[in-house]
Amino acid sequence: MSYYGTNDFSHNSDFNLRIRDIKKGNLDFGWLDEARETVEVRRRDPRRGLTLEDCEVGPYAIDNTPEIVRENRGLAPRGAILAEGAEQPDLGPSLNKKTDVWGYRVQRYWEEAMSRQWNVSTDIPWQDMDKHEIPDDIEIAFCQLCTLLSEVEMIATDLPAKWSHHMNSYFQEVKGFIATQAIDEARHAEAFRKRALAGAGLYRASVRGEHALKGILEADSYSEGSVFLHVLGEGFILTLFRSSEFISPTPVEQRMFQLVMQDEARHVSYGLQHLKYLMDNCPEIRPQINGFLDEAERHLTGLFNPDQLESMIVLGGKGTSPECIRRGIEVVGAFQGKQIEEYFHRAERAGLPERRERSPLLELQQRMIAGVLA
Amino acid sequence: MAIKFPSLEFFQELARRMEENAAEFEKLGFCDTVMGVKVDGDTPHLYALTFDVFDCKDVRELSSPEEAELDFTLEAPLPLWREMFESIQKNGHPEPTYTLNSLSHVGDRMKVVYDDPEGHDKLYRFMATLQAFMDQASDLEIEWA
Repeated sequence: MSYYGTNDFSHNSDFNLRIRDIKKGNLDFGWLDEARETVEVRRRDPRRGLTLEDCEVGPYAIDNTPEIVRENRGLAPRGAILAEGAEQPDLGPSLNKKTDVWGYRVQRYWEEAMSRQWNVSTDIPWQDMDKHEIPDDIEIAFCQLCTLLSEVEMIATDLPAKWSHHMNSYFQEVKGFIATQAIDEARHAEAFRKRALAGAGLYRASVRGEHALKGILEADSYSEGSVFLHVLGEGFILTLFRSSEFISPTPVEQRMFQLVMQDEARHVSYGLQHLKYLMDNCPEIRPQINGFLDEAERHLTGLFNPDQLESMIVLGGKGTSPECIRRGIEVVGAFQGKQIEEYFHRAERAGLPERRERSPLLELQQRMIAGVLA
Repeated sequence: MAIKFPSLEFFQELARRMEENAAEFEKLGFCDTVMGVKVDGDTPHLYALTFDVFDCKDVRELSSPEEAELDFTLEAPLPLWREMFESIQKNGHPEPTYTLNSLSHVGDRMKVVYDDPEGHDKLYRFMATLQAFMDQASDLEIEWA
């Protein structure tokens, strides 16, 4: 135990006497007298049920919350009545400004996440794996890819979990959304592990890739971690998932990538909307984010590590013959170019058009990817 | 009775089947996007499909993309759309090279046109639903234009 409260309620005579009094039937009903503004909460669309947006009313709405939350440092939900004075404990949230965490439309992403959950055990047609013959080189390449993706998904589970308790409880929608992300990413790690074990097994863990992933986890602020993970990292991984669906050896893997792709795209959308909200409302942070991305983009090239690149080339070309490898290099080169272009487009839309000019990615791409193609 | 492709009636029929197979689409979750489908040929056709919660609630033919707020548009020549639907009709879902994702990814046989990256990402956020929507044509008698 590292936290000892300021009061030991089990030996507090006032508290014990009051509880005993209540149990004798002497209720004072003081909590019933608190004045509350009457609000009307109703389902705008019965098919969606009662959504978080339906609950954005009166004093409970995020729009009626100050930009910096000073009054609450505990676990009180937005709109609850707080104790007077300093009685409410301070749980030490470090993210108390709305710009620290908020993103446009975050309530909708929550609802979408809740309605589009799926189950690795039952929603992937594992029973069909035996119906397809996969050549050994393709199967091993696929399992090498699954190994890297399992590592990626671990960090994507850990980052939201790391920052959640630092967020002020008034930002419940963001805390909730990143909790859905944590379960999404845990599910993805489950999917890739199960697929590898159902086939040739897990292969080499990635040294360079893990260095890149460490950069995400060690970001100094939530916004830096978010722009690295959601916009840069998951944007790249979304394109990788699309490519993986394209080069999947059988319909089983194709279904797996269709499902993980949906979750990943939702995380990218939240990250984009957080970055956009941050740029719109806190433009002075631009140099810091740019400086961070200069380094983050260098880190990310670690994901182009040789084992992963070779396995993708073998999958893209559907074999290890020279002709297959030539075709695989073309396929991988095309999707890597897409990864970079889509990232620049997202950064531009979020308010960072300068990434296209100052990013080390283009030069790195020319040196690494174009070099492979040559 | 055969339904002509491309036509408004074709996509209206897919929307009707989507509603009929509600359980499948409710399992996949909310889908909220306005998707454009462009069929290139001698006379190009552009359709706006509005997905809302579990349904495709509106299908319209547009004379220009500006007539609707499209999140993204899938553009392909008529022969490619035909190949895709014929692949779906072989066994109820497309062969690996004919999924919406595969067609629109490497090689860009099917173009994804978009302005806002968030609109673009909706194609991937709702991919399973949009693929299942197209798969509703699996046993439809189609009269090709």
